[in-house]
Amino acid sequence: MSSKKILLAGTVLAMIGLVWLGAVYWMSFFWVSTEVTQGIAQRIMYVHVPAAWTSFLAFGLAALFSAVYLWLRDERLDRAAVSAAEGGMVFATIMLTTGPLWGKIAWGTYWTWEPRLTLTLLLWFIFLGYFLVRSSTENPERGKRHAAVVAIVGALDIPFIHLSVIWFRSLHPEPVVIKAEGPTLPGDMLTTLLMSFGAFTVLFLGLFLLRYSLENLRSELDTRSRHASV
Amino acid sequence: MRNYLRQIGTILWKDLLVEFRTRERLITMGAFVVLVAILFNYAIDWVRVSPEDIASGLVWMTIMFAGLLGVGRTFHLEAEDGAFQGILLSPVPKDAIFLAKALANFVFLYIVALLVVAVFMFFFGLEVSRNFGMLAIVIGLGVLAFVALGTLFTAVSTGTRMGDTLLPVLIFPLLAPVVIYGTGATSQFLAGRPLTEAEGSIKMLAAIALMAFFLGSLLFRFVVED
Repeated sequence: MSSKKILLAGTVLAMIGLVWLGAVYWMSFFWVSTEVTQGIAQRIMYVHVPAAWTSFLAFGLAALFSAVYLWLRDERLDRAAVSAAEGGMVFATIMLTTGPLWGKIAWGTYWTWEPRLTLTLLLWFIFLGYFLVRSSTENPERGKRHAAVVAIVGALDIPFIHLSVIWFRSLHPEPVVIKAEGPTLPGDMLTTLLMSFGAFTVLFLGLFLLRYSLENLRSELDTRSRHASV
Repeated sequence: MRNYLRQIGTILWKDLLVEFRTRERLITMGAFVVLVAILFNYAIDWVRVSPEDIASGLVWMTIMFAGLLGVGRTFHLEAEDGAFQGILLSPVPKDAIFLAKALANFVFLYIVALLVVAVFMFFFGLEVSRNFGMLAIVIGLGVLAFVALGTLFTAVSTGTRMGDTLLPVLIFPLLAPVVIYGTGATSQFLAGRPLTEAEGSIKMLAAIALMAFFLGSLLFRFVVED
């Protein structure tokens, strides 16, 4: 695909995602019924859970692109990896801010060492390291390689982090009311949630393509300015 | 294979020899450990808490921080002399260099980790004699995982403007499972629980150490490519 087509696809997808997201907001505020025990705060779920899913998708893509980049050394793969990682940071930040807001009302505390919450926080820091390595390495080529190594090791460490934080929890049970979630989600709530999953995924793909074409333009600018100075 | 082991042995021996002649890293890490224990004495109300209750966490965090100090210096001496270029140009495979460097770090950090346990015994009357063998194994596995990830990411952070300050940001999130299983098993030993209870944690620590060494030897070549 040419870079113009990617830019167009990204713009269209991002627009669809934004409109869709508007619909999800309308549904979650005005259409869906209020949950009995948690009350109005439960509506945060329609943002929180899809954001979590999207961030995991994005970080997974970033690690995958990084691994293939080290193998094939195609610049485009590195650009795709950094674009996905940036999206992942944004959605992980959404998940990490909405989670405590909801937790304060549902659990009575902002933070709890809930395994998924802890895992996402650690992931957020792993990818903070990814960006710090990229930006602080003098030689950009080396920075790309080093950042790819960070992403790969981070992704492969995830299963261990996941198992250990769950194990830690089983070791120290906490007297809090665990999320009342499960397959018995009422129909309209499930519809809203699934709509939101769709909106977030499409929005992410749109932003990812936009970010990717920005990265393409940057490298083109870089090449041209280098030619001009020669 | 034998040639490969000899190459690892040569670099490992060189690193150990340099360290045992200069004693730079062992002295700084050892002094750090003792000084931290002195500060812990004043930071913690030992009348209210017994050492057995919190020692496992303090021991592991002291090992982590001392490890940062030591592992962060893995490539400094050679970088100053430009000697690391020489090692990279030699016909030794990159994964052998990684393994030798990580094993040298393991020797230093394991000595320091045992010193941590000894300091806690000496200062705070920590009772470890019951399960000392198992404790040494658990700490050894944790240190193995630490040095494998630490050596790989020190090579990364040494090449950045931020240098060693970047190292904890890179490896602490990855080391969360090591701390969780390590402190879990250690506190079970310190509480005198039967060994079978800690078996799962020990297996997980071994798996993490194995994965860390595998990834390190696989990915090190991409870090030191130029």
